[in-house]
Amino acid sequence: MQERTVEDRLREEYFDLLPEIQRVVWQLEAEIRFHTLQILHDLKDPEQLLVKSRVKDCDSALKSLVQRRGLRLSGGEGRRFDPEALEGYSLLSLEDLAGVRVLVFPNRRLNEVDSALRSHFPDWTFKPIRNEGRAVLAPKYYGTCPSASRRVFGEYQIVPMLIGLFWEVEHSAMYKFRAVANSKEMRDRRADVERSLSQFEDGVERFLHTPRS
Amino acid sequence: MKKSEILFAANYRYDFDRDLYVNPETKKAFSLEFVDDHTPEDVLRGIEEKTDHNAWTFYFNIRPSDGVRRLLEQDLEAA
Repeated sequence: MQERTVEDRLREEYFDLLPEIQRVVWQLEAEIRFHTLQILHDLKDPEQLLVKSRVKDCDSALKSLVQRRGLRLSGGEGRRFDPEALEGYSLLSLEDLAGVRVLVFPNRRLNEVDSALRSHFPDWTFKPIRNEGRAVLAPKYYGTCPSASRRVFGEYQIVPMLIGLFWEVEHSAMYKFRAVANSKEMRDRRADVERSLSQFEDGVERFLHTPRS
Repeated sequence: MKKSEILFAANYRYDFDRDLYVNPETKKAFSLEFVDDHTPEDVLRGIEEKTDHNAWTFYFNIRPSDGVRRLLEQDLEAA
């Protein structure tokens, strides 16, 4: 019989954990919807608040784990798990098995959502999404929802809506082509788009708050 | 010249599953991380380095363990 690989063991771990990951997503999404409900009710046209959730799929989870730098015996280069470090890998070290993204338009509402959620999840770790220049593009946090699981991490991020929707398209288009996506040329293009979308949102926000006769 | 262009000009292809620049003729493989973190001169030096073409040479930031090296060699030989 063929020997079990690290990937086999991790796939087994994933499907053992899946019901727990699903419970964390439900719990996290429900808490986030509850704690942003008043903001949702207060939105004025054309403001928007959208809550999306997802369970990280098995292949993406394995890919995230193998790409991690600093793992024992391997820097993740070559994208191969080290068969001699079988016990060194666990999907429980991933911070985003259960994820919720809150898309907000315009940015003024983003700060409101961030402070509402931060006060509800005071112990969660802040790990913002940054651009090339290390400026914060979107606040992101990870932690646990003990009523759903004490060991599966959940993550939530609050993202300017236009940038978030751009990321969805960009991610699905470039996901498999990391070298191209990470090339300087594409990084510059991505930064241009993010900058333009931010400027557009700022422009809309200024327009909305300009008194009109 | 960009580092990827230097590699492509030296008959390397990009392996999207392993994120490696690979030349099966010379049996050399550069990791994406190595290429990102090193200068074009370092990459060129690796390309030009005299090596034993019967065994694979890996240009990685962190030397791959024997287990990882074995798996990668199997992958690259089968490709």
